[in-house]
Amino acid sequence: MSFFIIMLKEVIDNLRDKQTVFYALLFGPVLLPLLLGGSMVASFKQLSIDFDEVTTLSVVNADKAPTLMEFLYSNNIDVVAAPINVQGSLRAGVALVVLEITDDYAEALREGTPAQLTLHVNNASKDSAKAARRVNAILSLYEQTISNLRLQHRGIDPSIFDSLNIVQNDVSSEGANGQLLASILPFLFIMSMVMGGFYLAIDTTAGERERQSLEPLLSLPISRTQVVLGKYAATLCFVLLSTILTALSIFTLFKLFPVEIMGGQVRFDGATLTRAFLLASPLVFFISALLISVSAVTRSTKEAQTYLGLLMIFPMAPFFLLQFLNIRSTLVTMPMPMLSQYQLLESAVLGDVIPTLHIVLSVVGTLSATGLLLLLASRLYQREKLLD
Amino acid sequence: MIVADQLYKSFKRQGSSRRKPETQQRIVAVNSVSFKAEDGCITGLLGPNGAGKSTTLRMLATLVKPEKGHATIDGNDVGTQVLQVRKHLGFMPHNAGIYPRLTARENIQYYARLCGLSRVQSQQRTGELVEQLAMQKFADRRATGFSQGQKTKVALARALVHRPQTVMLDEPTNGLDVMATRGLRDIIRRLAAEGHCILFSSHIMQEVAALCDHIAIISDGTVAMEDSLEGILQRTNQTDLEDAFVQATQLSNSGADE
Repeated sequence: MSFFIIMLKEVIDNLRDKQTVFYALLFGPVLLPLLLGGSMVASFKQLSIDFDEVTTLSVVNADKAPTLMEFLYSNNIDVVAAPINVQGSLRAGVALVVLEITDDYAEALREGTPAQLTLHVNNASKDSAKAARRVNAILSLYEQTISNLRLQHRGIDPSIFDSLNIVQNDVSSEGANGQLLASILPFLFIMSMVMGGFYLAIDTTAGERERQSLEPLLSLPISRTQVVLGKYAATLCFVLLSTILTALSIFTLFKLFPVEIMGGQVRFDGATLTRAFLLASPLVFFISALLISVSAVTRSTKEAQTYLGLLMIFPMAPFFLLQFLNIRSTLVTMPMPMLSQYQLLESAVLGDVIPTLHIVLSVVGTLSATGLLLLLASRLYQREKLLD
Repeated sequence: MIVADQLYKSFKRQGSSRRKPETQQRIVAVNSVSFKAEDGCITGLLGPNGAGKSTTLRMLATLVKPEKGHATIDGNDVGTQVLQVRKHLGFMPHNAGIYPRLTARENIQYYARLCGLSRVQSQQRTGELVEQLAMQKFADRRATGFSQGQKTKVALARALVHRPQTVMLDEPTNGLDVMATRGLRDIIRRLAAEGHCILFSSHIMQEVAALCDHIAIISDGTVAMEDSLEGILQRTNQTDLEDAFVQATQLSNSGADE
């Protein structure tokens, strides 16, 4: 029971420390998802075009092309009169794009010669470029319709011009963009776990040595293993809390700004996040043990911050490795802590089927590594050097 | 009661090269420490800095294991009956080492709970100690910014929380002002009068002379002389403890040289 008393004390003690609370409850769970997830959601919003959304388009000489205007209207584009100063209003961002119809448009169309349309764009603005892509797509559809009509009029099958019919069959369930977004989830989870326990682990081990409160503590009638377990349990509490908060904030983030990516294959709904959280949960034990055993070696909080700072590379390593190298989920990668969770969480977000054996291997591998680390921490606490 | 019998402890020299022979790689911190501290008595462990006082106390507190020799606290061996020794012993190391974000009361209660007291018992015991050591004014304040005297009182209360028969204090008067020192001396005398065995380490002669019934002079890791104040003055033919201390350490050194 001693470890429980130590745990309670460390939790209360560290809840009174602003630094620990900031990193455990605010930085990992709120700021990181907002910064990373938020910017990604924003960029996806910018790239993806919603053709169902009703928008307006400024057109010069709209009365010269009534059929085109009707076609635009049927494609959810409301035509408005163009501003007088086209270039100025584009640069100022008042209008996103302006379509200019030449005076001889109707005539050229009648005679079967190319009719000229000018689309004024400001490519320096992402919104303008996005609007131009949408208008271009609709215009080429219109162009194809007219071409087909002309050919049929002359008694030619339009399909004669389609010499090749290229069909791209994407067999992966994940697109490149979708995968990047999917890998954000394990990254956020693991970072918030590390940040959640970081300062508490330092404070309860190296900090205790630095304050010289370890010597009287160890002279009490309790075993050193109980002391290690108490500090481990306290770290576990903070890491767990931080992870739960992260899951909640990711859920809220994607609830507020829903994204339809890769045809809805990338999911951040409640069920997916719960599944991801459960798959990641063995890491809560592993990362707490890692933090405790590394900071048990250090003598001062400064030394601990240096070592644990270097340790931060580990949660980030799988993220970058998986970006550059295409490491597939295999029976070899599954028992590896962190790497396996990265792969499992990605699969969960992408909605892939995960073999039960993979989950079992991941849980067993991670928990065994946790056991070894705890044994190491306990051994480190038995050393006489601990009191130097 | 504490009985120490030829305690010996050495440490690995920091940064020593492996080519040197084993004996040169180690520093002997405690060479041969033997003394006895009786119940109801204040025993002073007097010695200069680096004489091996803290290491001796750490061995008695079961924090480090003696390489040679034996010691018992109230009949329990420090090498083998570790938990029994800790139950009988209240140890206050030379730094208060209290938790700054906890209040004085919480600091004491934490130790009480760790010593196996229930929540109610620990609150009760802490209340007693707050009264005994006159800590009412700062008992419910967080320990950040406590004066040295206040920190020492909290640390002492923590050491006494499980009503140990034997109490060891490592340089407790370090950094205390005159009034705080006097207050602490009164508390220590009271504890001895209640029948506790008090071991008190210090490098200040006046301190030991004023307080201790029994003195063990320690120098270079060896107890050079052990007696009452009068006994030590008589044996060294001196009238002042400081001169007696110099005499005693020289005697033991020359004895070792021969």
